[in-house]
Amino acid sequence: MSSKIGFIVNPIAGMGGKVGLKGTDGVLEEALKLGAKPIASGKAEEMLREYLYNYSTRDEIKWFTCLDEMGADELKNAGIKKMEIVYMYADRYTSSEDTKKACKKFLENHVDLILFCGGDGTARDIFEVIGKDIPILGIPSGVKMHSGVFGINTHATAKMLHEFVNHTLTIGDAEIMDLDEDLYRQDRWSIRLFGVAAGIVEPTYVQVGKTVYESVSDNEIKDELTEHVSFEIEKNSDFLFLFGPGGTIDYIARMMDFDNTLLGIDAVYDNKLIGKDLNEEGILKLLDRYPKAKIILSPIGAQGFILGRGNLQLSPRIIKRVGLDNIIIVSTPSKLASTPVLRVDTGDKELDRMFAEKESMMVVVGYRLSRVVKIQTNNF
Amino acid sequence: MNRDSASFLKEEYMELVKNGFDWKLRVLETGSTPHSIVEGKEVIMLCSNNYLNLSNHPRLIKGAIDAAKKYGAGSGSVRAIAGTLKIHIAVEKRLARFKRTEASLIYQTGFAANAGLIPQLVDKGDVIISDELNHGSIIDGVRLTKADRAVYKHRDMSELEKVLMDADKKYRRILIITDGVFSMDGDIAPMDKIVKLAGEYGAMTYVDDAHGEGVIGPDGRGIGAHFGIEGKIDVEMGTFSKAYGVVGGLIAGSQDLVNFAYNKSRTWLLSGSHPPAVAGAQLAAIDVLETEPQHVKNLWDNTKYFKKELRSLGFDTGQSETPITPVIVGESNKAKELSSRLFDDGVFALPIVFPMVARDKARIRTMMNAGLTKKDLDSALEKFEKHGKKLKII
Repeated sequence: MSSKIGFIVNPIAGMGGKVGLKGTDGVLEEALKLGAKPIASGKAEEMLREYLYNYSTRDEIKWFTCLDEMGADELKNAGIKKMEIVYMYADRYTSSEDTKKACKKFLENHVDLILFCGGDGTARDIFEVIGKDIPILGIPSGVKMHSGVFGINTHATAKMLHEFVNHTLTIGDAEIMDLDEDLYRQDRWSIRLFGVAAGIVEPTYVQVGKTVYESVSDNEIKDELTEHVSFEIEKNSDFLFLFGPGGTIDYIARMMDFDNTLLGIDAVYDNKLIGKDLNEEGILKLLDRYPKAKIILSPIGAQGFILGRGNLQLSPRIIKRVGLDNIIIVSTPSKLASTPVLRVDTGDKELDRMFAEKESMMVVVGYRLSRVVKIQTNNF
Repeated sequence: MNRDSASFLKEEYMELVKNGFDWKLRVLETGSTPHSIVEGKEVIMLCSNNYLNLSNHPRLIKGAIDAAKKYGAGSGSVRAIAGTLKIHIAVEKRLARFKRTEASLIYQTGFAANAGLIPQLVDKGDVIISDELNHGSIIDGVRLTKADRAVYKHRDMSELEKVLMDADKKYRRILIITDGVFSMDGDIAPMDKIVKLAGEYGAMTYVDDAHGEGVIGPDGRGIGAHFGIEGKIDVEMGTFSKAYGVVGGLIAGSQDLVNFAYNKSRTWLLSGSHPPAVAGAQLAAIDVLETEPQHVKNLWDNTKYFKKELRSLGFDTGQSETPITPVIVGESNKAKELSSRLFDDGVFALPIVFPMVARDKARIRTMMNAGLTKKDLDSALEKFEKHGKKLKII
């Protein structure tokens, strides 16, 4: 059976980078004046050519795309002649509205996957329309690429597309992250977590016979992680537990019947949710009342950050008060397969150094099962 | 409730068949010999574990016959009640002497040793530290425990130390478990380093040396002898079913270990003991290993020649240090195709595909046999070359 792929290029993605802008959102004219050149089309074509060269003879794909440089041109240039154009833009320069409208058309056409070329901004636009309904795969081309939907390069993206079409990859969580515009307007550079989309991930296998393996869904693994976390909470009944953001921890909290937030920091004490979407001040107040605490974190985004992206509420002061030994990191193995190092960038040199000195941390990957994962900090 | 209670048997089997995951049992018309007749076809055997060809050795056959004549066909009981025969004790004594450990214990199978002993060594509040590529029987043994589990990257000693440092603070007992020879790649666990690290952190060591017993170390005495650390590994576990040419699991270590193990391992306590013929053949196998060094030498001569020639043909044989030589071909379908063509051409070697190994590391796993001649190996190599070229692997 053939796969239906929705293909979209954000032709202006990545243009800000070479001229020193933090993205192209709302500053296209400025970028053009500074001499920015389009790069997304080239990246998209490169990935398509890689794909056709290595895999196309065996895969059956029905392409749905957008007019001209928003997809059709790139497909044609790479050698794909058969496609259905489902969206036509009207203005000279495409905008995020065009991306969103195109995605609505993809939804109407029931595509199996949206393959896009762009950066975090494009991923966010797609996510706003698609949510978790359709998996998203990104060809990296933007200035910012923190979201977990991107292949690491065009070659890897081509391989992922092939493996998705052949059902050797499965669907898992992928965080959508982007610059926090509110803070950026105050001249602060901060990456925020906007939501959790469906990405494509390496399945987790368990041996069930001698040579027979079954893939285990991410939710089954998350069930194991939930058991593990409940056990930890039970064992440390006098501790405050701070639940970090992201899909994995959200699942765990919901399975434990906590009405928590997906993107924020929530607090649990004595098996009750006692703080929701807390800011730094709120967390510090709770720590005054409950000095013994543990923080549950999971790597988020394309680079596997556990601290410093998407959870700035967990400030260096908080981390130092809780102590590094009281951080519990949980992850599905499929997540670790795409982000094999844990990254830390707390903005506090001393704290980053403390993480750097640890070199690695234990990550819980199943019920009572953990493994070593290396830590990388930006400054060391 | 009205339900079709057994319909799943057929459904699940048919699902396996549909996906090509069912075992199509290939029946040998000969014994497990270097040239076997498999379903009417004569093949060079490159996928048995009968490394030293001892299953066909006249002394082992005689040992089995003599023991059956003297003690009968069966043992009559579990070991603990009335099934411990003099010959069972003789094997354990001889094995301890051969392995240069204080004592040894024979289990019904290697799986029974892992599944029976591992869960007794640790409990709640303890941790098992495991190489990520350990064998399925270890994994099942570990699943039966209440201990926490931590996995380190394959043979990565710095990761092992990281886990030990973390575990040192948190747990009562620490047990490090590893395969000795890894069955997919044929590489060897750095047991000397593992024992040293274990000593520093007060951890126990347990090695599953199923593919190393009779193969590595002087006279094939296994991984302890290979690294010159006999008696320093807390549990050396192995099997009589591979190089020793018979069947049965074994552990070797201190007398304390053996006393503990046979009083606590449920698999050992609740299974009938080996028939006398099995024990007779086991005893003879140790005899042969002690007195006929040529078998181990032949195995290694064959291994070295075969590996060297495969490499010079341009095949990727991975990191193997033992008679398990993987011929890495890439994609799963290619490995299956090569195996099938080789079989049609008289060479029996199994494909190992994803997810048993990485997606792009599918392979033919060859296992050397001391009974093969240079002519046999040349014939096998010629077929590897022919089909390797046709399939554009080399």
